[in-house]
Amino acid sequence: MSAAVASEPFVSNAPVSFPGAEESLEAPAPRKPAVLVLGLGNDILTDDAVGLVAASQLRNRFTGHPDIAVIESQELGLGLLDQIVGHRDLVVIDSVQTGRVPAGHLHEVDETHINTLPGMSPHFLGVGEILALGRLMGQPMPERVCLFAVEAEDSHTLGTELSDSVALALPGVVARVTARITEWSEGSATI
Amino acid sequence: MDKATQDAFNTGNALANAAYQSKKRNVTIDPVTRLEGHGKIDIYLDDKGDVERAYFQVPELRGFEVFSLGRPAEDMPQITSRICGVCPTAHHMAATKALDDLYKVEPTSAGRKIRELVYNAFTLEDHALHVFVLGGPDFIVGPEAPPELRNIVGVIGKVGLEAGRKVISMRRRVREIISYFGGKVVHPVLGLPGGVSKALKKEDLPKFQQLATDGVEFAEWTLQIFKDIVLKNPDYVKMILSDTYTHKTCYMGMVDEQNKVNFYDGKLRVVDCDGKEVCKFTAQQYREFVSEHVEPWSYMKFTFLKQRGWKGFVEGPDTGIYGVGPLARLNAADGMATPKAQAACEEYFKTLGGKPVHHTLATHWARVVEMIQAAERIEQLLNDPEITSPDVRRAPTSVPKEGMGVVEAPRGTLFHHYQTDERGCITMANMVVATGNNAARIAMSVERAAKGLIKEGHVTEGLLNKVEMAFRAYDPCLGCATHALPGHMPLMAHIYDHRRQLVQVLEQS
Repeated sequence: MSAAVASEPFVSNAPVSFPGAEESLEAPAPRKPAVLVLGLGNDILTDDAVGLVAASQLRNRFTGHPDIAVIESQELGLGLLDQIVGHRDLVVIDSVQTGRVPAGHLHEVDETHINTLPGMSPHFLGVGEILALGRLMGQPMPERVCLFAVEAEDSHTLGTELSDSVALALPGVVARVTARITEWSEGSATI
Repeated sequence: MDKATQDAFNTGNALANAAYQSKKRNVTIDPVTRLEGHGKIDIYLDDKGDVERAYFQVPELRGFEVFSLGRPAEDMPQITSRICGVCPTAHHMAATKALDDLYKVEPTSAGRKIRELVYNAFTLEDHALHVFVLGGPDFIVGPEAPPELRNIVGVIGKVGLEAGRKVISMRRRVREIISYFGGKVVHPVLGLPGGVSKALKKEDLPKFQQLATDGVEFAEWTLQIFKDIVLKNPDYVKMILSDTYTHKTCYMGMVDEQNKVNFYDGKLRVVDCDGKEVCKFTAQQYREFVSEHVEPWSYMKFTFLKQRGWKGFVEGPDTGIYGVGPLARLNAADGMATPKAQAACEEYFKTLGGKPVHHTLATHWARVVEMIQAAERIEQLLNDPEITSPDVRRAPTSVPKEGMGVVEAPRGTLFHHYQTDERGCITMANMVVATGNNAARIAMSVERAAKGLIKEGHVTEGLLNKVEMAFRAYDPCLGCATHALPGHMPLMAHIYDHRRQLVQVLEQS
């Protein structure tokens, strides 16, 4: 995965060039841990909070780990750029409603399977777009990306408790994410 | 609508929803668009195959009132700002002002100025987001550009990488003002009845003053980009002025004592489609002037001017329908409150043929004019010696009962209304949000676009894109309008023939 992903759409937009694409936006920031775990969601929308809850459990477990950072974020769009930038690996935990699988099912996709530039969405940029944008801007963006999304039962009711099916799935979710970040962070010594 | 028709609609909707649910969709998981909110348009054809009615549907979010009941009123600025991540500061501030009213306490002068500072910073940031990221791509990249280019990356392709950096860097710096006072941008913790929780330290002032100066320059630069790219392109201008995107309605916006645009405080002023003042009222009077109409096909409530009554989705001199947001604010005020914004505003009206402007797509331009006012106001406030006063809060002493607050959210007028018991615990909570205020106008825009694009049963290519442009100018935050969540909104259109049989489903790829 490289900046080629981001620049590809501009083949047909030939007159535009990007002088200085290799420069960083700001002064170099202090080194960040290799692996970022980013839990996304809304904490008062029932199952939408599952990414935050899972990240909170992981944060307790990995506090102080030199190669793993865990963030619970309710940010959207461009706000995510600042959080993602500078990490080598990115693991996102979120919720989704596809309606195709039972609630509590854990979807797992890598960056090649998220729509990097899904066209115009009325409000937001997704993680895929943020990655493409960050690379275009010459920012140090994660090389490896993994997205875990828990199938939600209800994300449309205000509430602070997960639904039963999602709550039951939570330990399994945390275990799967733990396995992935452990694998990636252990790999960091050899890279 | 008679009962038989209503039943047909309901049956059709139930079938359409079932079809939507059961359809095996190729869902791409995009984490921030995780909510799968969908905009659904139901189009009903007559026996000639022309459009009889078109309805724009959105999903519903449940439980706001129940969730609020019994909670301390002081929690409302936090709760309402959490409902969605799009305009947290607007909800936070409307709720905070409702708390002032609930406890009958005026904020101190410095407290009020800090609120206004933060609020203008939020307006500047949110408008910039819309111009460059959300609505702007339609114009900056071009309405005819392929969808994969109509996004922020496409915008940067057009305006250049340096410009892109400028946008991202400025937006980040403006957000620093909000997080300085509020702790977090997404869910600020700032407003208290009678003031704010944090003062501005003198030593931190210079950095923010520099930011304010840069902010004004940034807003003017944005206007120049808009002029160069949009206004110099006759095709874009033609589209802005076209009938498809024009509705003659009333307009509502908040004004100061000189009837100039104000985002944070003032009275609500309404003008008719000829620009004449219809009424002017305070937040506390809103129920005397604004009423809500319910349609069987939508979760959205359609607000209208009470004194004129609900007359259906009609425009013209007698209509009770009004618009809110940048277009409406400029129409409803006598001008902008700051000099550079005023100059930009004069040019706007001169170019578009005088006041009021009824072209929905001109909202994008009005938004840029407002960016200039927000930036100039930030600069004024940061050069006001009182801004660093430590006297930022007056403690309330009254027994609470009922409170109302209003602000101009970036998308338009936002009312919060609470009732509490004598301990200050919520017994009733209601919000009238910008998209609700605009709902009737949005519905008219969608129907107009559908009527223009479907003739004799033939559906023109690009229907969904054209319809989407019609409502994207409003930047509808469908989240709180239906008390539902925004996000990536895959548009679907269901087309029914005159027998109310589903004949075609269009889905945006």
